Amino acid sequence: MARPKVKSKAKPKAKPRAAKSPKVEKVIPLHMIPDVQSEVIKTAEGRYLQSNEAMFTFYKRSKGEQSPYFLGLMEKKQIIGARCPKCKLVRVPAFEIYCPDCQFEKLELVELPDTGVMNSTPPITYFANSLFAHMVPFGRGRVMIDGADTGIPMHVYTTKGVLTPRVFKKNTPVKVIFRKNRLGKPTDVFAVPIAELPEKLRAKKGVEEQELDWSRPVEPPVDKPTPETEKAFKSAFAAFQSMSKAVAKSDRAKKDLAGWKRSIQVKTAGGSFIISIDKQNLTVKPGKAKADFVMVSNNPRLFEDWMNSRESLTNAIIADKLWISKNQEFTTVFKLDRLPRSLRRT
Amino acid sequence: MTEAVGIVGAGLTPCKGRWVELSYYGLSQLAVKKTLEDAAIDIKDVDAVVFGIYNDIFEYSAIPEHPLQGIIGMANKPGMRVTCGGATGAYAMLASYTMVKSGLYDTVLCLGVEKCTDCFDFDSMTSTPEVIKSIGWSGDTFYERELGWTASESYAEVVLAYMDEHPNDLKDEVSAEISAILCKQAQNNKYAQRYGEKVTKEMAMNSRYIVYPFKLLETCVYTEGAAGVIFANKEKTNSMCKNSGKPPIWITGVGASNEHHVVGRDFRHKVMHRIYSDHLSAKAAYKMAGVTNPVKEVQVVELHDAFIKQLQVTMAEFGFTKLGHSDDLVKEGLMVPGGPILVNPSGGLTYAGHFVGGSNMLSAWSTRRELIDKQLHRGMIHGTGSTIAQYGCVMIMERRD
Ligand SMILES: [Zn+2]
Repeated sequence: MARPKVKSKAKPKAKPRAAKSPKVEKVIPLHMIPDVQSEVIKTAEGRYLQSNEAMFTFYKRSKGEQSPYFLGLMEKKQIIGARCPKCKLVRVPAFEIYCPDCQFEKLELVELPDTGVMNSTPPITYFANSLFAHMVPFGRGRVMIDGADTGIPMHVYTTKGVLTPRVFKKNTPVKVIFRKNRLGKPTDVFAVPIAELPEKLRAKKGVEEQELDWSRPVEPPVDKPTPETEKAFKSAFAAFQSMSKAVAKSDRAKKDLAGWKRSIQVKTAGGSFIISIDKQNLTVKPGKAKADFVMVSNNPRLFEDWMNSRESLTNAIIADKLWISKNQEFTTVFKLDRLPRSLRRT
Repeated sequence: MTEAVGIVGAGLTPCKGRWVELSYYGLSQLAVKKTLEDAAIDIKDVDAVVFGIYNDIFEYSAIPEHPLQGIIGMANKPGMRVTCGGATGAYAMLASYTMVKSGLYDTVLCLGVEKCTDCFDFDSMTSTPEVIKSIGWSGDTFYERELGWTASESYAEVVLAYMDEHPNDLKDEVSAEISAILCKQAQNNKYAQRYGEKVTKEMAMNSRYIVYPFKLLETCVYTEGAAGVIFANKEKTNSMCKNSGKPPIWITGVGASNEHHVVGRDFRHKVMHRIYSDHLSAKAAYKMAGVTNPVKEVQVVELHDAFIKQLQVTMAEFGFTKLGHSDDLVKEGLMVPGGPILVNPSGGLTYAGHFVGGSNMLSAWSTRRELIDKQLHRGMIHGTGSTIAQYGCVMIMERRD
């Protein structure tokens, strides 16, 4: 009997489809697609086979009766709802054609304003699904448009830096902002606190994203070193060095860092150092250098608290105790956050 | 119609974060074997089967139950799959109960199985983001999915809205303590995914947020596993239990409710700060079982703790404490060791395991075990599911000897 073919990487095509039109976005991001490959997994029970596979179907998906709402967003920067002539309920978006509460009375389409309030405090995602990992942290809430009785699920953004749970609350007044390039999708619009807008934009209809002031947050300064913070820095740095050795010996920790390469400039009041993640290892060296991103914590003790599972880096960012220069590097922060637990379980 | 429906056996596989040794076929066979051994019956004694499998994508098949029919010894008999989001297990048991209660079948096997961590994200080289993505296909396809909908942010939305109304409830210290209690309880369940693990209140408190306000150690695990429960009519329950030597456990109340998926201002739509489906399903089940004061009349609850803070809201919706006072579960000692209500003695979905289609069967297995071993009178099990905790399903189980 033929042995199963393993580690048989398919040859890459001479000219991948993406190469023909690099600027066109694909419905499946090409970087997510693995090679055709099988592998043998050895466990205490024996040898088992697994293979790379995918379940995929392509669609030309009709939006049917949902079309007026999405066409409104895409073509006219309008928010379209549906009003019941009997019970007067206004449902936004216009997600149904008859009122189930009034013996299926036919609804009337109505245009609504692009202002409203948050129905409740929106959740903020720090650990996203694989299609949205590059966007974390992001918020999604329900906007109750003025005059509406149902909420629209919508992304919420602040123009003032990292999104924390302090930005949006129940009843926070918001303005719906339109993307410049709209495709008739729920992502054509997002909400920002109306208080962040200058007076002239608040009442303007159909404000687009580029009209907002997205000024980047500046790196927070750290205090001048004191004997105390220098001592804390030395201690934190030594702890990092021990952690580096422990990671090298821990399969679990090495797995957490698999396939990841980053350099991180860490700045604290007691001094600076660089963390390098490469080839499933974590190394540290003192000083400053060019890095993929910057982490700033005034208090060097934060890192020892982290290593001792008294604080997670994610939570420290949420609580404004730690600053990172790139939002999307939350992904790296999550990988780091796994290490203390993995080392403890090794 | 039969007079009463009983549970005559239950069994499960070990709960694991990933099984490479068994596919969902093998997991199903193992769970059925264990369930039949527990009931001390032959598969030939079973008249019909209900499969609880939540997600086609996890199993890599649009009709994932079809290969199970024959390999579990049920060829040529009726078989039906139930899928109802997170509440799949509870609804599958409701269907099994109904098939027996109607008088159509004497004995029905309810089998729940899920294999989720075959899903793999080749960008991060880990499973979890792809598992979350596969669950993400469950969100509203027009309005939610493209916004990065996930089960955790959806439940967080409900819990945050509850916190808007009750800002002094759901303190982090309380949910952390509940997490530690559940971890300890899981150590009495050798099938638990986190058997042998120790999570303290402090560790839960300090674990990182996955979605605000949910922390990693206050969130259910992803599990691969399977579990079975056998339901029978009064006559068969009595004869099978006599044969197995195990006391019969009777189903005395059932209730289910699914809310609107769109948020609105009153109960014509979803009221975000309530899990009204849990409230209504418990209310219906209590009425049927004659329960008027759950704190005094129910001794064990195995509820669907997708997230600890949601467990707290659900317990309030069930009437074990008032809405806005769910911290009393710990502060008033309601569910602390030695307290009046044993909550999730298996460790729940947070520590025992969450193999979605079968998680609620694990709850039934555990509740029955507690009723038998601790000689308790009444228990209840629960499933919640879909976006914004839309689905609820409750079943009340009693020992009467
Ligand atoms: Zn109406």
